[in-house]
Amino acid sequence: MSIIPRIRVAEVHKSFGSLEVLRGVSFDVHRGNVVSVIGASGSGKSTLLRCVNYLERPNVGEVYLEGEPLGSRPDASGRRRPRSLAEINCLRRELGVVFQQYNLWPHMTVLGNVVEAPIRVRKLRRDEAIAIGEECLRRVQLIDKASEYPARLSGGQQQRAAIARALAMRPKAMLFDEPTSSLDPELTDEVLGVMRELAADGTTMIVVTHEMAFAREVSDRVIFLHDGLIEEEGPPEALFEAATSERLRKFLAKYRK
Amino acid sequence: MSMGNWERLVWNQRDALIAGFAVTVEVCVIAFAAAIVGGLILCLVRLYVAPLRPIAIVLIEFFRDTPIFVQLMWVSYVWPELFGFPGSFFSAGWLALGLQSSGYLAETFRTGIEGVPRGQREAAFSAGMSPAQTFSRIVMPQVVLATAPSIVNQFTVIVKSSTLVSVITVPDLMSQSQRLVNIWYEPIEILTTTAGIYILFVFLVSSAGKFLADHLRRRYGLVAYS
Amino acid sequence: MSDSLKQALDLSLFWEYRGILLQGLVFNALVFLCAAVLALSAGLGAALMRVNHFFPTRLIGTLHVELFRNAPDYIMLVWVHFVLPLLIGIVIRRRVEFHPFVSAVIALGLVYSGYFAETFRAGIEAIPLGNLDAARAFGMSERLILWRIMLPQVVRRMLPEALNQFVSLFKATTIVSLIAVPDLMYAVSMVTQQEMRPLPLYTGAALTYFLIILMFASGVRAFSERWRRKILA
Repeated sequence: MSIIPRIRVAEVHKSFGSLEVLRGVSFDVHRGNVVSVIGASGSGKSTLLRCVNYLERPNVGEVYLEGEPLGSRPDASGRRRPRSLAEINCLRRELGVVFQQYNLWPHMTVLGNVVEAPIRVRKLRRDEAIAIGEECLRRVQLIDKASEYPARLSGGQQQRAAIARALAMRPKAMLFDEPTSSLDPELTDEVLGVMRELAADGTTMIVVTHEMAFAREVSDRVIFLHDGLIEEEGPPEALFEAATSERLRKFLAKYRK
Repeated sequence: MSMGNWERLVWNQRDALIAGFAVTVEVCVIAFAAAIVGGLILCLVRLYVAPLRPIAIVLIEFFRDTPIFVQLMWVSYVWPELFGFPGSFFSAGWLALGLQSSGYLAETFRTGIEGVPRGQREAAFSAGMSPAQTFSRIVMPQVVLATAPSIVNQFTVIVKSSTLVSVITVPDLMSQSQRLVNIWYEPIEILTTTAGIYILFVFLVSSAGKFLADHLRRRYGLVAYS
Repeated sequence: MSDSLKQALDLSLFWEYRGILLQGLVFNALVFLCAAVLALSAGLGAALMRVNHFFPTRLIGTLHVELFRNAPDYIMLVWVHFVLPLLIGIVIRRRVEFHPFVSAVIALGLVYSGYFAETFRAGIEAIPLGNLDAARAFGMSERLILWRIMLPQVVRRMLPEALNQFVSLFKATTIVSLIAVPDLMYAVSMVTQQEMRPLPLYTGAALTYFLIILMFASGVRAFSERWRRKILA
């Protein structure tokens, strides 16, 4: 009996003009699993993540969310035709995204940020959304900052707020795009701590990161991306301790200080 | 509205329109020169001549805040009796335009001067330069470069406002085209062409200004004030 | 000269007619309000067109802005009042005339929509792209993004600049007397024709506008100072 993976990335290619950034990437993420994506800058990690929720549309290939292709759907006669932006928007609700730059909306309070999408997109009632929002803020230990504006929060607090915002939509999976890369070293721990807890709670996660210790500790699978292709993938012990690819070993050596 | 009509009403009258355009340019250029001179004087008095500062501030505010049309009427009909000048409507035209813009330019220059980092002056003094030398060799060149785009922009403002001098019977482009409309009673071709000429002229000047601003930013790394 | 000076500053004549003159000022205010509404909406529309992905839309937006931003107020006023009705009349085959008030509102509204469009566009382009990415990632529709994420930030950022444009617009309403809208300047010229004493009247008009605009401009400046500090905190 095969279980349908929560997310399946199938032969995704993505080019920007003449530059081919992703050259055929495929992998599965099963429910409750954490997949880390590591690689050098320019390897296509961020583009890959942006393709998963169709912020970038793959040129070739498809992304499946619980078996349902994001890019197309069957029409009345059963043929497949491309999804419109509005339809993709519908599916995006199921994927929570945490960006490197947090991207909190500066003109709303923390709580305002967290409840905006649940109210406007999931059409929840305001009190329902606030209840969920406060629960998420408690989960990331930020409930005392609920009525603050993002500008008054530290980087680590802003990123935790962004995580709460994504969680409030109750997504089927969480996507993290280098969530700690913009943070001062002292602040990365608070964010990684939250992410560890999420993983322990069984959240399905794809994490693009430079934090090797974190990837090793928390992931079920690690993918090493190089030049738009998966160079090596497997359980963390296999990659971190017994890497078969020369490039991967060189890459990891830089972090082994 | 056919081509024949346009030919008859506009092209055949082009001499009058060209003469009007020449007067417009004349008024604008003189007003522009007056505005720069006036603006500089007002700015320098405001910044460096302490006893006259309040007067300078009031004048700057007055020239900036009073609408151009009102200033034009006031300068044309009241000043000759009050002060004995301006002697002609043409002078009244460029004087009013120049005064209004001098108010804006005074503030532009002030922002520019105050925007030159203090350290530059200190470096010049430490090298033994006098205040006058510092001002003319260090401060003003930077002010000119930084404010050039705003100054060019002020010229476009003058061009746009110059249409009003037709009201005090200066024979500019606007005045000529209105005269033609009154003769032929067919406003469409004439007024549309006139509007097109003004729009094109202003567009060209402001494009030149943008080009200048880009060039200055690339060459000197200065940010243009507005 | 001192005799003329006394005459000019003898504003009792101005004061005497203050009723009519005040009514004129009300017309300035009315033209201002209506033109402001038109300028804001058309300006916002043009700005959104200019940042659209679709090239023809961008082109139309740019044409709108360049056409109206570079046009002198007075020629637009005259054109809208004398030419536009004729053009419309040709199309619908009937005689059309604009009431001067309508012409004034349309002309000034369109010209200033050009300025507002640029102000809005600067605000839109200053919004960090990530904000919009995040909104899209949450599945917000473009319309939702516009009203909940983009516009609030544009307004916050560009409010001082927009207020300056409003002051300019009010100053521009002084030309509407030239197509016989009964504003303050129109009233002044009527009274001058009657009383044959331009000095106190035009001086009074100049002072009146100066004081009103000074009040508004200072208010805007003070407000903008505090606003910028608050927003960029």
